[in-house]
Amino acid sequence: MNRIGLALAAFLTIASGLASADAATLRVGIQDDPDALDPALSGTYAGRFVFAALCDKLVDISPDLKIVPQLAEAWDWSADGKSITFTLRKNVTFHDGTSFDAAAVKFNIERMKTMPDSKRKAELAPIQDVEALAADKVKLNLSEPFVPLLANLSDRAGMMVSPKAATEKAGEFAAAPVCAGPYQFVERKSRDLIRVKKYPGYWNAGQIGYDEVVYSYVPDSTVRLSRLRAGDLDLAERIAPTDLKTVRDDANLVLHSGQGLAVSHLMFNVGAGTKADTPLGKNSTLRQAFELSIDRNVINRVAFNGEFLADNQMIPPSSPFYDSAHKAPTRDIAKAKALIAAAGMTRVPIEIQFENTAGDSRVAQIIQSMAAEAGFDVKLLPMETATAIERYMNGNFEAYIGNWSGRADPDPTLVAFFSCAGSQNVNKYCNKDLDAILNQARAEADDAKRKALYVKATDVYLSDLSSIPLHHPNWFFAARKSVAGIVMVPDGLLRLVGVRPVN
Amino acid sequence: MSTIEAEPVALPARRRSRSELRRLLHEPSAVIGGAIILFFAVLAVFASWLAPYDPNAPDWMAIRAAPNAIHWFGTDDLGRDVLSRVVFGTQASLAAGMISVTVAVLIGLPLGLIAGYFGGIVDMVISRLADALLACPFLVLAIALAAFLGPSLENAMIAIGISAVPVFVRVARAETLVVRTEDYIAAARSQGLGHFAILAGQVLPNVLAPTIVQATLTMAIAVLAEASLAFLGLGQLPPLPSWGAMLDVARQFLSEAPWMAFWPGLAIIALVIGFNLIGDGLNSALNPRH
Repeated sequence: MNRIGLALAAFLTIASGLASADAATLRVGIQDDPDALDPALSGTYAGRFVFAALCDKLVDISPDLKIVPQLAEAWDWSADGKSITFTLRKNVTFHDGTSFDAAAVKFNIERMKTMPDSKRKAELAPIQDVEALAADKVKLNLSEPFVPLLANLSDRAGMMVSPKAATEKAGEFAAAPVCAGPYQFVERKSRDLIRVKKYPGYWNAGQIGYDEVVYSYVPDSTVRLSRLRAGDLDLAERIAPTDLKTVRDDANLVLHSGQGLAVSHLMFNVGAGTKADTPLGKNSTLRQAFELSIDRNVINRVAFNGEFLADNQMIPPSSPFYDSAHKAPTRDIAKAKALIAAAGMTRVPIEIQFENTAGDSRVAQIIQSMAAEAGFDVKLLPMETATAIERYMNGNFEAYIGNWSGRADPDPTLVAFFSCAGSQNVNKYCNKDLDAILNQARAEADDAKRKALYVKATDVYLSDLSSIPLHHPNWFFAARKSVAGIVMVPDGLLRLVGVRPVN
Repeated sequence: MSTIEAEPVALPARRRSRSELRRLLHEPSAVIGGAIILFFAVLAVFASWLAPYDPNAPDWMAIRAAPNAIHWFGTDDLGRDVLSRVVFGTQASLAAGMISVTVAVLIGLPLGLIAGYFGGIVDMVISRLADALLACPFLVLAIALAAFLGPSLENAMIAIGISAVPVFVRVARAETLVVRTEDYIAAARSQGLGHFAILAGQVLPNVLAPTIVQATLTMAIAVLAEASLAFLGLGQLPPLPSWGAMLDVARQFLSEAPWMAFWPGLAIIALVIGFNLIGDGLNSALNPRH
């Protein structure tokens, strides 16, 4: 009897031990499987989502889009705007125990600028050289004034990796990244999960609430939500707008929402290869007619239960550089028809390609139906995501529903899509005047003057209309009530410092 | 089993078909299956008259409306009438079932005849190729082919058709192997008939019955396969209705708008059961071993 009692007690102790170990694990459901876990190579939102646990950046952005300290405690622009000096946080170590200092910053920036397949080159292009002035002082010298630099350093370009690990394991760094964030890498099972554990040497370790975080790849948002409701996950990112009611009605769940930086837009191929040879690709008047034929509010209401933000600009209204003078035109079929007639046509054919996701598929069908009333014969071509992105990057489309995650500063978005050599300018739009305005804006340190330049830029890109912005998605995360301390930031990344379990 | 000997192998064609039709009508499963298929065939052919609304016309003010007096089956996520979409979706499903199986028979039957009749190296090559295709699970093969060809109903039908070819090669070859040892084949040969004439005139009629049974059963699989491909976004292009694609969309609204999934789901079940029943009935009526 005694022995049985002892065994039972031992079992209960082990069981409760397991339970408490469970309680210190945060299980997060993510929609996409991240690509390379190296800040220099990463090209996906999912990657950034995981980096938020692994890699601290020089600076961060706050919920109101201000630049705030992270690994750099302070910074100082030179009077001519051609250099910036950072004062670094002291006593910071990487996950391999090596210390973070000015030399490490120099190494990282040079690594991102010179690594052959680095995706950060454009973001850091104006940096000419890096001077380590002292262990905690580093100066970046720029070829020209470049205001968006801080915003760029608040993302992957500002993530610091261990120079030791990056040198010793060059080429396989992404398989086991070593950074200076609150959590350190444990394991990755491709297309399944990524496991990270608390880094006790973190400079702000007192604010780390979980011992372990597991990111599970659950592509379907409905499945993510079901697993969350079943208690199989603690947090799920990007809940479908059509599922929000379920979250709101569930007493065990909390909905965390916030305005985003992202934009969905209908991109027309205006200059990339033979697919640009369409009436809409060649004629901006027809594109304006197309814009007049759709009702963004209906798209938002029908496809997203009205939970997103219908808008006509690439930059969201939350940005201080948003141009409130350029309002979205209201739907006007008669005017759209008149514009089509003025172009000497009655029916205008166009093929819209999109990723075969629930949201894009609904948007595409709504657009098809609305545009038909004005005289556009829209053919829909849904594509499996990988194929769609490949075709997108090659400019192999007549029109494409693009989803851009957005950036804290307007510069990266507008330059990427609208400058002649922009990295996302896959539809080959080019307007030299716009290029000049965008270049001026990135050098303008005065916010008011900078805004005036972006208003001018907006005027140009909305007249040429190589892309019709449709709406800005808002962020919706659902978490179990037991997860506290979640703060929504417009970049939609889950910052884990301060996130903790509660009973 | 004892009826094998009693069954005359080569009855005059007309008498045979009449007696088989009579037997078929005495098979309850064939009659029920036939009625179901006929029902869907009528839906497909007269869809434009039977459907109350344009299946692709959205109603922005009636998104995911529950079944009511105006929309008997409710509306979908874009406010389109589910009843009309189910009715029009019949066209895609029936076309996929029939056309893809026709493709499979047109390719598989001749290959099976040739393999079984000539034997030797020809048989080896054809049979090994069929084996290779059979080694891939049917649906996986169809998905791979459809993904390769690109999304459209036509491509889905081609993919399903090709995936179903080896089954018909097998059936036709096996029957041909039995038939070619019959005396009447030897007789035909001794009359100086060519290979083609013997294959078409003597072998084919005897291989036809099991092929028809197999074709009907394969149609059930093809209907399911088309629905699966459409569910994965590899079938009928939007906005045209297809039951599988309707299910895919409905899946996101299972708790709040179950009618979106119920009707297309029911239609798929009914049509597949219809083909299976008629296949069983045909098997009983045509197969001399029964």
